[in-house]
Amino acid sequence: MDVKLWGTRGSIPSPGPETIRYGGNTSCVGVTLSDGSLLALDAGTGIRNLGLALAAEPARLHILLTHLHLDHIQGLVFFAPAFRAQTEIVIWGPASPEASLRDRIGRYISAPLSPVEVRELPCDVSFRHCPETEWEIGPARIRAASVTHRGPTLGYRIDDGDHSSLAYIPDHEPALGADLATLDEDWISGFELARGASMLIHDGQYSDAEYPEHVGWGHSSLTHALTFARRAEADRTVLFHHDPLHSDDLLDLHAAESRRCWTNLGGVEGAVELAVEGAEYELPSRVPGASHAAATA
Amino acid sequence: MTQRPLELILARNLMSALSTPAFLVDEGGVLVFYNEAAGALLGKRYEELGTVGPEEWGSLFGPFDDGGEPIPYDELPLVVAVRNGRPAHADFEIRSADGARHTVEVSAFPILTAHGSQGAIAVFWPSAAKNGSGH
Repeated sequence: MDVKLWGTRGSIPSPGPETIRYGGNTSCVGVTLSDGSLLALDAGTGIRNLGLALAAEPARLHILLTHLHLDHIQGLVFFAPAFRAQTEIVIWGPASPEASLRDRIGRYISAPLSPVEVRELPCDVSFRHCPETEWEIGPARIRAASVTHRGPTLGYRIDDGDHSSLAYIPDHEPALGADLATLDEDWISGFELARGASMLIHDGQYSDAEYPEHVGWGHSSLTHALTFARRAEADRTVLFHHDPLHSDDLLDLHAAESRRCWTNLGGVEGAVELAVEGAEYELPSRVPGASHAAATA
Repeated sequence: MTQRPLELILARNLMSALSTPAFLVDEGGVLVFYNEAAGALLGKRYEELGTVGPEEWGSLFGPFDDGGEPIPYDELPLVVAVRNGRPAHADFEIRSADGARHTVEVSAFPILTAHGSQGAIAVFWPSAAKNGSGH
């Protein structure tokens, strides 16, 4: 499985010289499965560059939305493949008792917020609520589970046929009202998605000092994210969904702090990093039961 | 170990922060958590007891009716809530670990999700009727 980070920022795009290294585009991760199938995890503004990088040829791709906050869907109307008649796009997302996935996304892809309507998209687009049980895309088994955030929100687990696995939980506050260090694993939001993954991409929006001012906003502090990751025993953890107010220089400090925290938690050196827009990873195939191997960047 | 539904996780997190005694059962009626306030009422912390099956937790703490007779399991508010998906309320006595009896009012309500019932919550108060005071 190959993974590329097309957008690493949370909340709102944050372009500019202060964010050029870690990136200013909002959440989007491209995943290429072992058979070449393409997935996009979330459709923040980062999906625009993903679309531009795809060859203009007939394609079928899946977009897996964690939730419908704007920083996770804003790029949909700027996704070039959506404007090609030969492209088939399947959009997966959380169900809601209020309205269908299509209708909820349609509130954004409609006037006055958008110049086009869903029905006007030239591509063959369909919308599917994620099932409770796992399903298959190409050689991969996909699992979605509700996680602690504001509004219906999913995390995803992708187990490729080559035994590499990715957990993607970009907006997540598992420590809300819970002690992650002592709580039984089955009571920790998102834990089964992350358990033993080759790579965990996880919310790490706030510093520990910032978190107390943002309790209940649906995001994690560095220590909470790393405690979650340590207990889940993912091979590699990428802290994601950077706060729009965090400059590159500040994120460098967060990266150093996260390494210290990880070491204090007993983690393996080099297994934690901050997400950088444009970073690419090849997740290693892993024979079940074999010792863990780190992904290569 | 199976992941608990998020709705149960959030319910437990909320209950952990409350000073009102509260109990949580899963969709099968298994007692999966009660908070510190409930532990003080029962004389035993949840961590000491752990999960308790649906036929056991009733007998551990009662409850009893006005005549001191055990109330049938099927009539307990938590059981009504989790089985019927309806809120339920009752007054009864419970017995704490030291043998003391407490008269309480209990309100239980189901945790319903898009995927059906995931369990129920019961909240306990000292009985206003028996104690002659409101809240």
